[in-house]
Amino acid sequence: MALSTFGAIMGFAAEMVRETETFYKTMLRKVEDPVLREVFRVLAEEEAKNCALMERTRRENVTEMILEPVAGLHQGDYEIAAAEMDQAGDADLLNRALILEERAHRFFSTVSDKIPLPEVGRIFRKAAQRKEKSLIKLKTLGSAYSDAAGLDGFVKSP
Amino acid sequence: MAFPQEPMSGIKKIKNYINGEWVDSETREFGDVWCPATGEKIAEVPFSTAADVDQAVQAAKEAFWDWRCTPPLTRARYLFKLKDLFENAFEDIARTLVTEEGKTIDESRGEVRRMIETVEHATGVTTMMTGYNLEDIAQGIDCTAERQPIGVFGVIAPFNFPAMVPWWFLPYAVVCGNTYIVKPSEQVPLTQTRIFEIIDECGFPEGVINMVHGAREAVNGMLYHPDIKGMSFVGQSATAKYVYKACGETGKRVQALGGAKNFVLIMPDAELDRHMPSMITSFYGCAGERCLSGSVLVAVGDVYEALKEKFVRAARALNVGNGLEEGIQMGPVVSKKHQEKVLGYIEQGIKEGAKLILDGRNIKVDGYPKGFFIGPTVFDEVLPDMTLAKEEIFGPVVALMRVGSLDEGLKLIENSEYGNAACLYTTNGKTAREFKYRAGASMMGINLGIAAPMSFFPFGGAKGSFFGDIKGHGREIIQFFTDTKVVIQRWT
Repeated sequence: MALSTFGAIMGFAAEMVRETETFYKTMLRKVEDPVLREVFRVLAEEEAKNCALMERTRRENVTEMILEPVAGLHQGDYEIAAAEMDQAGDADLLNRALILEERAHRFFSTVSDKIPLPEVGRIFRKAAQRKEKSLIKLKTLGSAYSDAAGLDGFVKSP
Repeated sequence: MAFPQEPMSGIKKIKNYINGEWVDSETREFGDVWCPATGEKIAEVPFSTAADVDQAVQAAKEAFWDWRCTPPLTRARYLFKLKDLFENAFEDIARTLVTEEGKTIDESRGEVRRMIETVEHATGVTTMMTGYNLEDIAQGIDCTAERQPIGVFGVIAPFNFPAMVPWWFLPYAVVCGNTYIVKPSEQVPLTQTRIFEIIDECGFPEGVINMVHGAREAVNGMLYHPDIKGMSFVGQSATAKYVYKACGETGKRVQALGGAKNFVLIMPDAELDRHMPSMITSFYGCAGERCLSGSVLVAVGDVYEALKEKFVRAARALNVGNGLEEGIQMGPVVSKKHQEKVLGYIEQGIKEGAKLILDGRNIKVDGYPKGFFIGPTVFDEVLPDMTLAKEEIFGPVVALMRVGSLDEGLKLIENSEYGNAACLYTTNGKTAREFKYRAGASMMGINLGIAAPMSFFPFGGAKGSFFGDIKGHGREIIQFFTDTKVVIQRWT
């Protein structure tokens, strides 16, 4: 589905952020490593803020006189396969978090360039920067896991 | 915040809101309210009587003095609270609006946002309502000019912006200390009904803000009521003229905003690719049902072929459907009757010899076989004396014309009986200045297709598009809702 309107973009952004927030909140109970648990807790809080930001942006930045069609954005490019997390260990959860964060980073970066509303573009650019930091945090943790397990390339970029 | 998918279900019977209570009209006549996307009846609206109107006027009149004596800042605080309540109900109002009017959810959100903006602007009453003074206008004599509220005001609103238009006037009237009556369009009464639920929650003193639904009898009941001091109207030009005359007869203040036929000129140096989305929005936004919509697309000079090709391609690509679905770019028109009217204009265009190059008549929208849809339509080879070039169609129908120069384009605007809006696309500043300087319309867009003034600027047209003196919102509206009392004093 093409994300060709402001509402469609904001709706998808809100849905994506909510999905990520739910993931962190739900998985907090499953994580065994206290360091990873703390990272998830922080990221869950960040996502809750992001969620509020997306909904506020949708409400306050809709300018009726310049509701122009947006081209070149497709929901399919940002959809990720559902994953069964019931039996997942810490490493799987970390990998899943990386996939979610990378998707969000890619989405926010792309939209910030394409959306014709400068204020919304700025908000998305900031969101992309925050996602970049989250990715670094998770990747650093992933490297530590890999080193500890003697594995090479534990963290797979999605 | 939750985003409800279906704001209403079942047939709703609508009530008036008078003196802080929901009351039944005494009428036995009701009109049907339709969902334009599904073609189903969703509510019944009372065609209120003159007696219903009188009841509202008496409540507003009774409430006036206490409200008028309430300090402006206190009155503004009601609006601050109202703004918060509107924000909380934002999505709910927007969805209700789509359900009865048909526009897309984005357009609806944009409309609700603009409604809230007028509330925000009106909270500045303590600055906007101040008067002025001068000492010693003669030896030892001082003079002050003070702004005072006047009494009961009212608005008769159109169908195309059910949330926003009454609020071009209401917040300013009320914050200045007047009391108010809203008569929403009988085609789209649910949005204001939802808004009045919020007004009720806000806790305004009884009688300060009232709502009477209805049609002709309610309209005349307001226009000819001796205790209503001023009226605002937005709708078709013929009715605007009628309202203007009636208010003249009864000594009311009046601002009557009428219809439009807006010309959008494209210069040869315009950046077509960059601005095509905005051109498309101008003509097809809100399915062409707005007084600021582009109606005649005028190619100046040799831009004609490129413009035609790009515009038709972009118009054809528009995603038409139920406005409640995210991603839909154009919804249905408001009613079966209006759909037939617009289709009639298309037939007329063919009969008069214009060339139909994009035909939206038989559009099929999956899942909505009974919806009042018309697809994007483009006529080529339209001449100035054709109906398509002269009359307000209020639908997604574009008349493409070609002229040799800016002067010729300006002549088209000058010859139109309307003077609401006009737009120009160019990369040349001198051309842009020439256009805005000479064009006979009151709302001008340069490199944008919808020249919609925000709440802090006045909204209204010229010629047959506006009857009155003071336009909607903007700082001037305070003059409409207040009398200037001059006090000359000598104490020496």
